[in-house]
Amino acid sequence: MAKEDATRLAQAIVEVKERTVLCSVCFNIGIAERCAICADDRRDGSILCVVEDPRDIVAVERTREFKGRYHVLGGALSPIEGVGPEQLRVRELLGRLEPEGVTEVILCTNPNLEGEATAMYLARLLKPLGVRTTRIASGLPVGGDLEYADELTLGRALEGRREVDA
Amino acid sequence: MQGELRPVSGGLTVVTGDNGAGKTSLLEAIGYCSSLKSFRGSPRESLVRSGSASAIVRLEAADGSRHTLVEIEITPPRRDQAMRNRQRVRRVQELLETVRVTVFTPDDLALVKGGPQERRDFLDEVVVSAHPRLSVARHTVERVLRQRNVLLRQAGGRAGPEVSTTLDVWDHQLAAAGTELAEARATLVAELAPLASSAFSRLTGTGAGVVLDYQRSFGDSLAEALASHRHEDLKRGVTTVGPHRDDLAITSDDLDARTRLSQGRQRCVTLALRLAAHGVVGSYAGAPPVLLLDDAFSELDDATAKALVSELPPGQAILTTAGPLPPGSSPDAVVRLRDGRILP
Ligand SMILES: [Zn+2]
Repeated sequence: MAKEDATRLAQAIVEVKERTVLCSVCFNIGIAERCAICADDRRDGSILCVVEDPRDIVAVERTREFKGRYHVLGGALSPIEGVGPEQLRVRELLGRLEPEGVTEVILCTNPNLEGEATAMYLARLLKPLGVRTTRIASGLPVGGDLEYADELTLGRALEGRREVDA
Repeated sequence: MQGELRPVSGGLTVVTGDNGAGKTSLLEAIGYCSSLKSFRGSPRESLVRSGSASAIVRLEAADGSRHTLVEIEITPPRRDQAMRNRQRVRRVQELLETVRVTVFTPDDLALVKGGPQERRDFLDEVVVSAHPRLSVARHTVERVLRQRNVLLRQAGGRAGPEVSTTLDVWDHQLAAAGTELAEARATLVAELAPLASSAFSRLTGTGAGVVLDYQRSFGDSLAEALASHRHEDLKRGVTTVGPHRDDLAITSDDLDARTRLSQGRQRCVTLALRLAAHGVVGSYAGAPPVLLLDDAFSELDDATAKALVSELPPGQAILTTAGPLPPGSSPDAVVRLRDGRILP
């Protein structure tokens, strides 16, 4: 790579970094105050898919199975890493339910111990509020990351989601 | 350590040599191909000869007409490179399913004399060798306990509503995986018990057997036990019930093996446990593991050493010794080691 190309590439990376912002609604990465998905009127606002990380949105979008909107928690429960419910965007999630008319929340956290614990924690908060709360079907590699699941498997897991009994 | 060992298949190979000749390293290398761990807990750095950058272990496993080549390259501090039939191995589990070993070492005495952790680890290793899918439950228990204990300490003795709800969630996970693990251990102990008892009486040449009893730290329901101990757990900042508090009690003629048996008898108990585990894993795997006996005679009296050789289970066994073989034993092959080299 020529030296000036490298400089240009570095500049491009800096610009991308400067221009991306967290969506004020779902905390996805975007370039405006509301991300492309939240700004899209064709998306179904009554179903929310809760993920740990913006990269998980990319994985779910690849399946083309999901037409609703997202909510990014910013991690999973893990006392070892100092992450409790206060460190996740749980309050923000609860705050979206009524104004947006959400009727179903799909818990799409990673299929590992911390992801399962987070899903169960959220289910226990959500169910008493009368929101249909579902969890993606098992069958994803245990201990894995959503990000690495292939779209077919993840699509099937979404389709086969079941109501959680918390 | 350098050279090629061709142990007799389906028979006993004895490896002799002075102390420091590399006998244990040889068995350690075989064991490493099964678990990527040293059975004597050597750090990886010490597995590489000083002055060399890496150590290479090549092992050919034959199961009937099927041959599998396992190659391991140990280059600290990099991760071990493991290949199976020239294909990169991604999970240690794959190795464990290719090369199964039962290891007996003089340090095994800790199984009887040491704390309950030694016995739990023994049970868990055998459970996972016999039922590889249970490694998930074992790993989950370990990890939930770490998370839960940190949370208990963070709570500082008090449980607000936030802490209570998160504890509920971890407890749910611990109850599920912990019950699965404890039940698997209890089932294993029931399978080990008759085998261990008859091996013990043959090794000691007495009518006395051993009785194994898996002692759970909780009653029928781990979920209920966690709930009823929560107050205490919060006060102490640790999880006081669960599979990590269980123990395996061993008695012979009503005497506690840990405190009331002679050291010679305790060695017979550890051998009996290993031989029983060997039998159980072999019955699940469809073929007996390779039996590795390191320095097995060093602490045994002549009668027990003789009984051990004559009672070896069918299958392949590799035994190291610095001294002579017990009188009357007829190994299928004897290999001599000197200064880390296998003599022709
Ligand atoms: Zn958004």
